[in-house]
Amino acid sequence: MHNVASIEIEQDIIQANDKLAYGNRQKFDENNVFAVDLVGAVGSGKTSLLETLIDEMDDDIGVIAGDILSKFDAKRIEEKNVPVKGLNTGKECHLDAHLIEHAIPEVPLEDISILFIENVGNLICPADFNLGAHVRTVIISVTEGDDTAEKHPMIFKGADMAIVNKVDLAEAVGADADKMVNDIKTINPDIPVVKCSLKTGEGVQEIIDLYKKFQNQ
Amino acid sequence: MHELSMANSMVEAILDTAKKNDAIKINEAVFEVGELTMLNPEQLKFMMDVLREGTIFEDAEIIINMIPVVIECESCGFKGETKMDDNMDHLMSVAKCPECDNTRVHIIQGQECNIKTIKIEREDEDA
Ligand SMILES: Nc1nc2c(ncn2[C@@H]2O[C@H](COP(=O)(O)OP(=O)(O)OP(=O)(O)O)[C@@H](O)[C@H]2O)c(=O)[nH]1
Ligand SMILES: [Mg+2]
Ligand SMILES: [Zn+2]
Repeated sequence: MHNVASIEIEQDIIQANDKLAYGNRQKFDENNVFAVDLVGAVGSGKTSLLETLIDEMDDDIGVIAGDILSKFDAKRIEEKNVPVKGLNTGKECHLDAHLIEHAIPEVPLEDISILFIENVGNLICPADFNLGAHVRTVIISVTEGDDTAEKHPMIFKGADMAIVNKVDLAEAVGADADKMVNDIKTINPDIPVVKCSLKTGEGVQEIIDLYKKFQNQ
Repeated sequence: MHELSMANSMVEAILDTAKKNDAIKINEAVFEVGELTMLNPEQLKFMMDVLREGTIFEDAEIIINMIPVVIECESCGFKGETKMDDNMDHLMSVAKCPECDNTRVHIIQGQECNIKTIKIEREDEDA
């Protein structure tokens, strides 16, 4: 005969990720590194933003670049002569705290003051996964359509700041950038939203000032 | 779509617990998944089926209970489930208080992905 038993597990997979994220945060703090998780749709301008910030900010920047298969983004950052660790997520659609935990030893935290983590281009899956960064920035662009924000509220709900990029193209693609800003403000009234063009430079200083402000908080 | 990695963590945790409890078979596993997680329960089940093949978890009944979204409003103090509106993306309901329409609301339930319990069989001690 066999006996049967009911066993409580009560294990939350998302909380398990949060625990690892907390460990990552501690490592950043120990090294006085301000960490930013940069999420956005495919092609919204994540890598371009990092290239611009590396040029324009005085800080020593390091980058972890997540990509599903390629190392293209990591190569682009390498050309700027800053430390970068390319992370291939395989088939995964997001970075998680565990992947970051393993990437951290390969980034010289003692030499940098800001770490940017480029997440996989995706507005859905990263919403569930905290990486341990101090700030999550969501970047979308007008070319994805001006209903992008309202279609993906969860990613904005969990963000600390948002960028509406490629406003130089708004007219050409018939998108209303202000509507996108308003949608984001409706979803999350507490976060700053910047309209930006990485092509013309519009909004870039505002983004830098925001990071400075977050850093000093 | 990250059902695969989630399913993987879930199956691992279950087999691990079962082993620690000397299970020879798992009969049932109960999960709770929040409405706001980006997880589709059908896909989750499908992935788990692939992953548990050939294990003692293979024939267990999988029960996934969806957990509704509960929000708390900063403005009027409303605390409860959100209204679903057919015209609205269901996720958008996290943005607004159903009582006072204020948008300063906090999500207090609906984001979990929890392995609750398993039912196992073991050899009888005095067999
Ligand atoms: N016109 C215009 N083009 C831009 C702007 N920002 C980025 N781009 C272009 O958009 C394309 C995609 O930019 P990336 O920076 O590679 O985007 P990404 O988000 O890193 O893309 P993935 O990593 O592949 O998801 C590139 O060709 C950029 O030159 C902008 O403000 N205006
Ligand atoms: Mg990129
Ligand atoms: Zn209210």
